[in-house]
Amino acid sequence: MPDSNPFADPLRFERQVPECAIVIFGANGDLTKRKLIPSLYRLAYERRLPATASIIGTSRTALSDDAFRAKMHDSVKEFLEDSPFDEDQWTGFAKGLHYIAGDLSDPKLYSAIKEKLTALGRTNVLYYLSTQPSYYAEVVERLGAAGLGHTTPQGWQRIVIEKPFGHDLASARELNERVHGVFAEADVYRIDHYLGKETVQNILAFRFGNGIFEPLWNRRYVNHVQITAAESIGLEGRGAYYQEAGAVRDMIQNHLLQVMATIAMEPPAAYEPNAVRDERAKLLRSIRILRPEEVPLYAVAGQYAGFRHEPNVDPASQTPTYAAASFFVDNWRWAGIPFYIRSGKKLPKRTTEIAIQYNTAPHALFTPDAGGVIMRPNLLILRIQPEEGISLRFLSKQPGSGMRLRPVSMDFNYGSSFGERSPTAYETLLEDALTGDATLYTRQDMVEASWQVVTPILEDWANRQFEYPNYEPGTWGPAAADEMLARQGHVWRNS
Amino acid sequence: MEEQLKPAAAVIDPEKILRDLRELWAQLAKEQGSAGGVLRACSMTLIAVAEHDDEADAELARKTIGVLMHGHPSRAIVLTPREGGDFSGRVFAECWMPFGGQQQICSEGIEITADSEQTDEVARLLVPLIAPDLPVVLWCRGPRAFLDRSLDPLFPLANKIIFNTRAVRHASSAIEFLRRVRKEGGKDGRQVADLAWTRLTGWREAVAHLMDACPGGWLAAAGGEVRIEYGGGRPGTRTLYFARWIERALPGANVTLIPVAGGPGVHSAVFAGCGAETSVRLGEGSSLEVRTAERSYSAVLPPDSEESLMHEELSILGKDPVFDRVLG
Repeated sequence: MPDSNPFADPLRFERQVPECAIVIFGANGDLTKRKLIPSLYRLAYERRLPATASIIGTSRTALSDDAFRAKMHDSVKEFLEDSPFDEDQWTGFAKGLHYIAGDLSDPKLYSAIKEKLTALGRTNVLYYLSTQPSYYAEVVERLGAAGLGHTTPQGWQRIVIEKPFGHDLASARELNERVHGVFAEADVYRIDHYLGKETVQNILAFRFGNGIFEPLWNRRYVNHVQITAAESIGLEGRGAYYQEAGAVRDMIQNHLLQVMATIAMEPPAAYEPNAVRDERAKLLRSIRILRPEEVPLYAVAGQYAGFRHEPNVDPASQTPTYAAASFFVDNWRWAGIPFYIRSGKKLPKRTTEIAIQYNTAPHALFTPDAGGVIMRPNLLILRIQPEEGISLRFLSKQPGSGMRLRPVSMDFNYGSSFGERSPTAYETLLEDALTGDATLYTRQDMVEASWQVVTPILEDWANRQFEYPNYEPGTWGPAAADEMLARQGHVWRNS
Repeated sequence: MEEQLKPAAAVIDPEKILRDLRELWAQLAKEQGSAGGVLRACSMTLIAVAEHDDEADAELARKTIGVLMHGHPSRAIVLTPREGGDFSGRVFAECWMPFGGQQQICSEGIEITADSEQTDEVARLLVPLIAPDLPVVLWCRGPRAFLDRSLDPLFPLANKIIFNTRAVRHASSAIEFLRRVRKEGGKDGRQVADLAWTRLTGWREAVAHLMDACPGGWLAAAGGEVRIEYGGGRPGTRTLYFARWIERALPGANVTLIPVAGGPGVHSAVFAGCGAETSVRLGEGSSLEVRTAERSYSAVLPPDSEESLMHEELSILGKDPVFDRVLG
């Protein structure tokens, strides 16, 4: 809702999503059925999507509108998160679902979309690219050729592009140029669903909404930072995609570097799209680019035993299913402080968290000789999933005689403070795109900066032959990752 | 939902109540020990003052709080003033299993019956029972607060006080009263809310969205005319709030109140100035009929239940600048 509306009351009512159509390319895919349609249904359920909203799914598979609706009905029932399914609500929602079968390379598909939009009377359109990334540029150009994709006074046309945005820096730049041939930058929404997670957004609230943490948020007090995104599962049928992507492209280049930027960025002047994104972009540009000879020291690749036997995976694959890297931020706040990032599949548990380890007390008043003292540095843990919350670890005197210290934890748990269900990342991000709020979307300069950070690692690994597998499923990755930290006197927080 | 009640002392001792609460939690943890345990949830203290001598109202308040706790887990204190009654209290817990969750969430509550003539004493008693360092919301359910000053001693305990002026006969006096309560708590930043204002959210949302869809229209309306039809014989607080809200948003617009037959509250708002006439009218059921020069559509009003209104108010614990401006 524009601020200029004197009737606006953002504390009381939601921004209004205007009458619009959402065109999903790749409507037969996993993302559509697991995330997009359940999220749109939930937005409609909460009256955050107008009752008249139209959703047009397209893919190659021949389906009638009714067959598409039936398929989505089952998907929503199965994948709706933390909320019950309402059959009556679905009936109303399903009326807005339409389907057009067609080949992404066939101009007729785009003519059919245009006709449908005209028939529905929709001038505000959000296109969602949920196809294979290799089709992104072609779809955009064909939309342009069909006279679609241009915002006019009669209505906006926006496009949401799923990651990966490019395969490397050069392809990201090329894709960007081709997208800009049709859509203005303001209408391009590059989605990184991590940024839509409540807990990632809460990092900003935690840092900039409180007075006590920000003064401790710098090289003077912080010893190092660990960012972990561990998955206990393997490929789950995504062998073809994952073999091409690997851990760096799948997680680090996008999600985890964005999380790191959120943790390390400077305070923006205001909470508005460009101010926040400018600070994230500045931080990403401040990450020191590794020199080729530094890569073996500061980055570790791993592949779990059994990966090469997964369906659609090359039996001699050199794709890393685990990646860890040490990054340094060259600015006044963080100079010399390592940011360790790791992500892997088939690790002992599913967890995403940021652990900020503080320096120990400057003078060891309580020494181990004094009797059973366990000296541990303070640790601030921001848990993104699955148990969303924040913990602070500090030392406390054990009850009884003597001065025995023991680490204890002070916990904030989302569930115990906010009984309400949190919106899923896709609900948040879809609503934002529909109302024109790009704060939680990445910008081209951010995408390019993060590609620049990982490029030396990707290039080095592409030219090496690793002796894979180098870690067993259910372990915390290759021993080399532990050694990388040990060289700097640190250890991974494996709990 | 599971609920447990445990009698406390016949004469209230805050320490005893707190001890009872601790025992209650120990008992809950023991019972749920092998089933994922319980999560103790508390984000505020919510003190609900039931109608004077009205056990049924206290019961209704407790039920409403039970629903509210899912979204706003709190230490709930339900206070029933009773003429000449003894002080008594008991503790309870409201537990629920979140959809798809494995751990039961519980919030705690305290029921207190107290002599209505001794609110000062009650206020002193409540101080140690308030969950430390969390917001305190006082919910004055009935019109008693407007009739005498017997609830005044409770006001300093709260960061936010929620009233309901719906049944109040003299709307202007009620608004004046709210202003006074807000002013008295000014230095502490006490917030005042009125469920009569909360009931307008659906109307206000429809008007705001109407103006969104008509770029520049509100500018035209600013110099135009707004006619508000209301029922119930005399304009209640809801109608007065609505009119003031429009006047504040459109300074220079001529806002007229027109009585019509029907129940109390706003029946329609007609804006002249957004191209042609634009109107928002009460429709059938719980909907609004919106008409502009270009189109007509219905907007569903949010539920009018006490739970839903309270849910909205408990979501705003800080300043509410729009209501503050309307209150004046």
